[in-house]
Amino acid sequence: MAPVAPKSGDAIFASVDRVNAELFTLTYGAIVRQLLTDLEEVDEVNKQLDQMGYNIGVRLVDEFLAKSNVNRCVDFRETAEVIAKVGFKMFLGVTASVTNWDAEGTTCSIILEDNPLVDFVELPDTCQGLYYCNILSGVIRGALEMFLFPSPSGVNENRSHVAA
Amino acid sequence: MIVCIAVVGHQNNPLYIQSFTEADDALKLHHIVHCSLDVVDERVNNPKKSGPTLNETFLGLLYPTENYKVYGYLTNTKVKFILVTTDLDVRDADVRNFFRRFHAAYVDAVSNPFHVPGKKITSKVFAERVSAIVKSFGLSSAV
Repeated sequence: MAPVAPKSGDAIFASVDRVNAELFTLTYGAIVRQLLTDLEEVDEVNKQLDQMGYNIGVRLVDEFLAKSNVNRCVDFRETAEVIAKVGFKMFLGVTASVTNWDAEGTTCSIILEDNPLVDFVELPDTCQGLYYCNILSGVIRGALEMFLFPSPSGVNENRSHVAA
Repeated sequence: MIVCIAVVGHQNNPLYIQSFTEADDALKLHHIVHCSLDVVDERVNNPKKSGPTLNETFLGLLYPTENYKVYGYLTNTKVKFILVTTDLDVRDADVRNFFRRFHAAYVDAVSNPFHVPGKKITSKVFAERVSAIVKSFGLSSAV
């Protein structure tokens, strides 16, 4: 049976409660600033962001499945598409695109054109190795691990890549 | 021709000063900006009863020196924007428009989580936006 195309996340996004985008952006910025002040090491901050994202992801995936009603995904490609189109739309309000598949179809990149977390942000020269959006890759990792899908994911410059 | 723009914090500490001429009299410009701060304080402390009190942000022409005109704009957080220009006839609407766009750029720069309030603005994006606004100011008033 041909896999069903994932529903667009627009309908669900319209029906869930939303928060002011600027408040969200500024709050995330404050979190990153505070982590930098507390931990001082850019690598430590990256790890913390990933861990925070992981904790969010393991809880978020249940809400995602309950609200979005998607069918079981047949393979990893479909999983990545669902995350990019439905998941990101539902929780961040932006659609991501999936590119950069490798030969076996086990690694891909999810590209966010318009990331609300990084509005107004400019990394200073002292923090050049900082993966500002590392929380997102933690969320994806946490969500996928709930399906017993151990997947290391990370942020590549401003891109987040997921490997299965 | 806009010669210089400056952003001054609420304790009269300079946050951003940028001059747009090739002439090397940056010191004179800094001095003009500094003197205009006194005029701003005077306007703030003695509000004109007859003038419109609703739009307190735009302070208008502060004082004309030998060949410069200085305009001021005050935000609600007591941050002052000073504009020094050599144009002889500048429309009020143009200056207000300039300050509105400048204020928008300033707000975006300050929303950067890595910006420390009270320190100088080091954002390159802000500098570029300001240059673009300054360039288009010159063009629009030539029309």
